[in-house]
Amino acid sequence: METFLQQFPIVFQALNVGFLQTLRLFGVTLLGAIPLGLIIMFGSMSRFKPLSVLTNLFVWVIRGTPLMIQLLIIYYFPGLVLHVTFWAKGESGRFAASAVAFIINYACYFSEIYRGGIQSIPVGQWEAGQVLGMTRGQIFFRVILLQVVKRIVPPMGNEIITLVKDTALARIIALQEIIWAGTAFLKGSQGISGQVWPLFFTAIYYLVFSGILTLLLGWVEKKMDYFRG
Amino acid sequence: MAILEVNHIQKSFGGTAVLKDISFSLEKGQVLSIIGSSGSGKTTLLRCLNFLETAESGTIRVNGKTLFDGENHKQLSDGEIRKNRLHFGLVFQSFNLFPQYTVLENVMLAPKLMKKAPAAQLEQRALQLIEKVGLSNRVNNYPCQLSGGQQQRVAIARALALEPDILCFDEPTSALDPELTGEVLRVIRGLKNADRTIIIVTHEMEFARSISDRVIFMADGVIEEEGTPEQVFGNPQSAKTRQFLSSSLEHF
Repeated sequence: METFLQQFPIVFQALNVGFLQTLRLFGVTLLGAIPLGLIIMFGSMSRFKPLSVLTNLFVWVIRGTPLMIQLLIIYYFPGLVLHVTFWAKGESGRFAASAVAFIINYACYFSEIYRGGIQSIPVGQWEAGQVLGMTRGQIFFRVILLQVVKRIVPPMGNEIITLVKDTALARIIALQEIIWAGTAFLKGSQGISGQVWPLFFTAIYYLVFSGILTLLLGWVEKKMDYFRG
Repeated sequence: MAILEVNHIQKSFGGTAVLKDISFSLEKGQVLSIIGSSGSGKTTLLRCLNFLETAESGTIRVNGKTLFDGENHKQLSDGEIRKNRLHFGLVFQSFNLFPQYTVLENVMLAPKLMKKAPAAQLEQRALQLIEKVGLSNRVNNYPCQLSGGQQQRVAIARALALEPDILCFDEPTSALDPELTGEVLRVIRGLKNADRTIIIVTHEMEFARSISDRVIFMADGVIEEEGTPEQVFGNPQSAKTRQFLSSSLEHF
């Protein structure tokens, strides 16, 4: 017990640093993937056939292969195969590679959610805008978009909560996120080794954070309760 | 001179001819009802007039100006089509109000985007229209807070806000409970009294008979019979018309 009390502050401090990196990857992924998903969606719904075929092929590959493999390829391919240094040395390079892999991966999932949301809006909404002389852009941004947002909040919430935990995959390229920080005390770090409890303890961070997100998403859903559509 | 002249409109979906050589004209201030069984092409005709469907051939002229010509329609830009369609307004069977906007915002949105006039002026005009359809006490309600009949009346105000030359109704009461159709029909009757030019696709035979100046009966994509309500309802010449009317009136 005494050793636990001595170890706890050290472990807590290290896990906090790791969790900060987890949060950073989470935030950057959302910031990048939400708009990129929109671009991918426009590509996959394009009436220009080559573009839509190519985009759908890309989405299929990304969704059809493990994110872990994508991380490995994005991080190691430039150096091992092309023999160029693309990513900076150390943690900053690992973070950049992780962010790119996560943004691309999640944007593909988001694009499919967006597409489903848009296609679920009754065609009558488009037609009503058209007979009122509105342009396609005006109809999309003034009429369709908010209805789509309302409809996609639940599935997006699902993906966002999954993302919280998926960030742990970045450990495969040694990103120093919270799982990496927990494992360190198994191997030995700061005078503590062979301890498994720090790794188990990381679960509490995930749990608390996804709890906060769940409340936030519920609040957003409630905010849009004023209309039905 | 006729406000609307439709000549030789043809339209097919995947090889099935839905409109076969439709021609008719309409005078300013007249009400035209289009009746006929489901699948006879009446809604498609209305959608062609509003450019929601593109006819394959024929012409549509409003006030002598050619808005549609099957010969060169593909050359028209989106902007020109958008401008042309403003000669027509359309009220849908399923209202299609914008759910995230209030009654006032629904009526004002399109004129505001078009910058037809200063916002304050547009709002005043929108409020007048809302009053005309009897919903002044609902200005700040959302569509989901209204009954079907009220929603349809908002849709009428919304269509009027752009001051179309010809207002089209596509089965405006078909999605309503019977006790709510009266309030919508009363509003349409009010428009007739205000000298609006109106085309109604409807299954309400009694209403069509009493409100129309002209009636078109469509069957299998052609105009089977056309005339005044007295002619079409009182003394139909075609066997198809007689059969349709007798089966429609059995409901009553």
